[in-house]
Amino acid sequence: MTVRGLWIISHENGGNLSIRFSRRFSTVEHRAKSLAGSSYVAVPEESTFLQLLLTELGLSDSVDVPPDPRPPLASLLSVSQGLTLLAGLQTFLLGSGSKPDSEGLGSRLAMVPSVLLQVCPLGTPLDVPLPGTPTAPTSVGTQKQPAWKTGLHRGRAVVNVGLIETVRSMQYGNRSRQDLWDVYGTVTCKCEVEGVLPNVTVTLSLPPNGSPLQDILVHPCVTSLDSSILTASSVDNYDGSAFSGPYKFPFSPPLEPFRLCSYTSEVPVPPILGSYQLKEEENQLRVSVTLKLHESIKNSFEFCNAHLPFFNRDQMGVVDMKVSSGQLDVSKEKNLLVWVLGQKFPKSREVTMEGKINFSGPTPGPSDPLCTKLTAYVKLHFKVPDMTLSGCYVDQHSVQVYSSAKPRIVTSRELQSKEYYIWNSTGTAPVSSGQMMM
Amino acid sequence: MAANWAERISAFSRRPSGFLSGTTAEAFLAELLRELRDDRATYSVKILLLSPLCEHPTLLCCSDSVGEETALELMSVFAQCPPKSVQFRCHLLLALTSVLICTSCVKSHSRASLDFLDVLLQIAQDTSDIHTDGSQRPLRAIACECLRELEACCPGLLSQRLELLGGLWQQETSRLHQAYAELYTLVLRNAIYQLTQETGAGAEHLKALLGGNTSAAWEADQESGLASSKDSAILSSLILGPMGTVPTLHTGPDCKELRSVLSTLLDESYLLTPLCQATLLHRLTEVVAMVPGVPPAIFRTHLLRLLGTSEVSLLHATLLLKCAFTDSLFSSEDEAFILKRLVVLSQHLLLSTPEKLFYMDCILHFPENRPISCGDGDETLPVLLTPQLASALVPTVFNDSATLLARFNMLSLVYLEEGEEGQGGQGLAYLYKHLSSLLSMVENGCGRELVVTFFRAAFLFLYYFCHVERYSNDLTKQLCQLYLNHTKLAPHFINLADQTQDRLSESSWSVGLLKALQRVITEAPLTQLTSHDLSRHLKMLARVAEEGEIIQQSTLTFLSSIITPSSSSLCTGGDWRLGNEILRVCRHLLVHPSLDSLLTPLADVLQLLVCHYADMEIQDHARLYYTLLTTLSREKLAGVLAQGMEEGGRQDKKQSLSCLIGEGLTSTLTIQQTERAVFRLIEAPPEPRAGDINSNEVQKGPEEASASMEAYRDQFSDSSFASEITLQYQLVHINSHDSHFDQLFSIRLHFSLTDHHYEELGDISVPCLLRERPSAIVQLTLKPRKPYPTSLHASAIFTSPDGHTWHTTLPDIHVAFQQTFLPLPVPSNWGRGGTLSVFEGLWDEICSESGDSAMSLFCCQLKEAALNTLVEKHFLPFLISDASHKEEFKVLFFLPPRSHILLKVSSEEDAVHFNIATDNWELLSHINSYLLKITSLQEDTLS
Repeated sequence: MTVRGLWIISHENGGNLSIRFSRRFSTVEHRAKSLAGSSYVAVPEESTFLQLLLTELGLSDSVDVPPDPRPPLASLLSVSQGLTLLAGLQTFLLGSGSKPDSEGLGSRLAMVPSVLLQVCPLGTPLDVPLPGTPTAPTSVGTQKQPAWKTGLHRGRAVVNVGLIETVRSMQYGNRSRQDLWDVYGTVTCKCEVEGVLPNVTVTLSLPPNGSPLQDILVHPCVTSLDSSILTASSVDNYDGSAFSGPYKFPFSPPLEPFRLCSYTSEVPVPPILGSYQLKEEENQLRVSVTLKLHESIKNSFEFCNAHLPFFNRDQMGVVDMKVSSGQLDVSKEKNLLVWVLGQKFPKSREVTMEGKINFSGPTPGPSDPLCTKLTAYVKLHFKVPDMTLSGCYVDQHSVQVYSSAKPRIVTSRELQSKEYYIWNSTGTAPVSSGQMMM
Repeated sequence: MAANWAERISAFSRRPSGFLSGTTAEAFLAELLRELRDDRATYSVKILLLSPLCEHPTLLCCSDSVGEETALELMSVFAQCPPKSVQFRCHLLLALTSVLICTSCVKSHSRASLDFLDVLLQIAQDTSDIHTDGSQRPLRAIACECLRELEACCPGLLSQRLELLGGLWQQETSRLHQAYAELYTLVLRNAIYQLTQETGAGAEHLKALLGGNTSAAWEADQESGLASSKDSAILSSLILGPMGTVPTLHTGPDCKELRSVLSTLLDESYLLTPLCQATLLHRLTEVVAMVPGVPPAIFRTHLLRLLGTSEVSLLHATLLLKCAFTDSLFSSEDEAFILKRLVVLSQHLLLSTPEKLFYMDCILHFPENRPISCGDGDETLPVLLTPQLASALVPTVFNDSATLLARFNMLSLVYLEEGEEGQGGQGLAYLYKHLSSLLSMVENGCGRELVVTFFRAAFLFLYYFCHVERYSNDLTKQLCQLYLNHTKLAPHFINLADQTQDRLSESSWSVGLLKALQRVITEAPLTQLTSHDLSRHLKMLARVAEEGEIIQQSTLTFLSSIITPSSSSLCTGGDWRLGNEILRVCRHLLVHPSLDSLLTPLADVLQLLVCHYADMEIQDHARLYYTLLTTLSREKLAGVLAQGMEEGGRQDKKQSLSCLIGEGLTSTLTIQQTERAVFRLIEAPPEPRAGDINSNEVQKGPEEASASMEAYRDQFSDSSFASEITLQYQLVHINSHDSHFDQLFSIRLHFSLTDHHYEELGDISVPCLLRERPSAIVQLTLKPRKPYPTSLHASAIFTSPDGHTWHTTLPDIHVAFQQTFLPLPVPSNWGRGGTLSVFEGLWDEICSESGDSAMSLFCCQLKEAALNTLVEKHFLPFLISDASHKEEFKVLFFLPPRSHILLKVSSEEDAVHFNIATDNWELLSHINSYLLKITSLQEDTLS
């Protein structure tokens, strides 16, 4: 349950590695030494660490169990705790996005020592860095304040519950290959409620005949769970008798926004069904795309774009394309077509794009190991406000807050796409999942 | 200055050893401590200064005694630091903890560590700020954390305080209750572990432990309990899987108290951060595992919450819970559910890649209720992991490398178990198809990472399915094609051949691959061959030539055709590197088992090189091989080349200089460090002093007192006069039984100072130190600048009988204050009269002067006999007055270079009076403690 050393290494583009921060925990090292005895391997000095990290780092002994026989990782609690600590530090340093800005990074790096003083002063991780500076603890009552709650809220009570569903898809347009899609949802809360340990309950509901929510994962602040909530699993065969809600999540909220729970769902159809066909003709490529919005989907997008990249070819020359709806942006440098469909599909709920592209540009375009020859895809990016594919919703009136003041409750939901691919049906598309082979 | 410190500290932490080679640990430590005491330094700098002590305490405190001293220093800094500097005080506590633990002061219950423990406990109990601003809470939190670390490193240290800690935990309502809970559970766990080691300990003892009534319970065993903690089992996790055994405490079913404590801890665990919850859960798992009287069902109400969690450490702690209690807590439905959950988590979109990889590892080490295998750490599939279930984890080209390989490995295991029939066959087909799609990505020219991933995946596939020939043969075919198109992958191919050969000793796949590669290389048309390709082909053929089973004729034909100018122009340039690569293939062929049949073509190839290769050295080399081939018998040839082959061949990279020199020579050329001290210096028993003043009764020297003083003073015009003290030491083995060091030679002792009060010492050579012979006498000549007590670091370089040179550190040498005393340095022919007049002269001077001079009085209760013994024992060499003159003893200590301490000792009515006069007031404190010591010793011996 301990960490022997911690290094923060930045890896810039071009392979430039540098250690930006390092901290060793001497007392943990002392324990490692006494536990490992003669098989002890010391942590290398910082100056040689990077090189060893890139070649071979033979630190094998652990602090929690005897080093011989070499224990499996799964028996060391330190491993999962270390993962949590590192992920927490990463979020602290880089924010939730993955792109670091060097200024912000520098200033946050300077805060690492004082952060470690709180979360891991002697090599035993106690917590992950908390967003923002902890406010002074103000609890003086008899009720114990949760260690994960940095302070107490004072003022108007507001509970904000946001439900986002994300849909992924792989469509092949090929009889021998089954199209795939999946949906997962996350419920994010921000609760400004008074009290040391206030009680809030959020309930997720499904429409009649909705398929059960699966693989539910909950935030540690959820106080209790009904066993029926956890039974449905995406790796099981669907059992018609499964519990289908309502799903109650009683919890006591932390101050900051958090992800209350997540789930996956099996929906019978993908929201947009597409077909993509390419034909190689002399010096040019004939392109044909059709997209069809399913009738159950609200025809009101925040945005909807289709990206058609072309790899391992020369740059585009003449692009002669027609779209039945929306507009087309051509980026010749990137060999990319962006079809902007806007907020609505036409009444027919079907749009098409037809035309020819000639790759006669002077320089080679971008390359990709996967998309060679006729292996190509259309990637859809869209967002639909106020709807979910599974039908799952949070009723404003179902949010219960046990506190003296009546809180304002805001709920929202939306559907977004991610990794939504439509593969060219005339090329060989890569296999993306094993589900289909069974 | 601050910036300078920042730079120096960062230089130190980058490379401590390099940094310390530019100074000494003692000097750096002294600097740090001085700066820490300096009021002008800011607290942010001071916090920085503490980091070397936190991170590398043992580098700075080379011995336990230095650790102890450093800790005392830091504690005095702590005591003087205003309470509002909370951050600095927190860091001070951390530094103290690090120093005391790492220098073993805590283990040996040193003074400083006991004091520190008290300080920590005081801070932990000090809740006086609770109604004000809570500003001291961070300090309390750190104090708890320090206590926890002390307990973790020295299990049992706080067992006696269990009740106190439990009370603190229960009372605390701020977020700090977490720190107390963590501390309390660890102490509880260790205390119970200790009870399990006591024979006959039971329910009563447990009850007493929890009630704080330990004095009745097992105070007597406390020491033995601590001693047994050297058994490192207590340090490590007790939950080790099905084969791990947990020590148990037999209490019978009645452990209400413990059960209630555990329930409260569990109920409140929700209030802890997930990381601390996981730790707590694991500690409680250990406790319940040790006390069979508490049923594991105590965890049951918390399981659902834990199993539904998105926190990896909480779910992990739950898996360890399952590992510990198997079916006494988890039904078979639970087991199936958990496994499904792990599969779901292993591919969950919202989890990070490391978490998913970890969950996959958990599946392969799944704690089954009824494990079939013995859980020796190998990867095994849980029985419940059906192909259907595992299909959620099939690798795809969209996975990152690590995920892809982990999935490939797991699915291989699944399909291997299923066999080729039915679903396993389908699965295997899928895996192979997947491998092929990776191969085609490599074929299309992808990045290095993907190349490596492909070869690793290929290795995994072969590792499990080498025996399925339709795939392994096809893979060989595909690989050959890949090689021809991408010869730059040659090292990967060689590596794959090596690894499969090593790991799959029964399979001939590796040889098959090499054979096929030989064929494609030798059969390809030479016209398209570039020199880059050729170089890679030659590497490959050299590897092929290592295989005795592979016929080498085609290789030779190939070599011959590339060297012959008429058939190929590749070698006409006479490239030295290329020539060597050809020679390397030839050398392997020279020791090939089928050499007899290769004789003529190989000789031809070598001859071709001799005649046509345009590089002189290659020609010479080829000529040598040709001569060896044609003149030596096969056995001799093998003998001559064998050694070179071992170095070359498979481990190309080992051909470095150090490797050529060989292990033996390298170790004799380097100085090795002994693990612990081998010998030490101890004070030699005093020799009888010659020329004591008492024995010299002849009265000579200046008549006049003033003349005596003048003559005495004149001597000091020579600055080297009486400036040194010589101490006698014996060099002796430290009593360990390392016979390796029984006989030591050419010992060179090196001394270094710990302060500035003495001049540097020269090295001392001792010819030998033999365990069976009398110890060597070493004379240490010290030249004081100021005659204060001091410590010296000592190290030595010596030679052991096997010719190795060693460096070792000796225990520190402590020079006591009285060791710096010399008798009054007067010419040897002076009698008592002369010395007495110098004494009186000095006494008068000191009385009249102020400046550095000082007078003092030391009194103590001593009987007359005791006083006489004391004088006899300690003062005789320094006695100025007649020994028989017992009313007043006059004693003079000369302390080089120039200090004097004069004593007039007389028994008065109430006590013995030591009238002290000195011309160096700074010595007063030292003489005072010296007198205190010797007089109290005298009292002790007489009482």
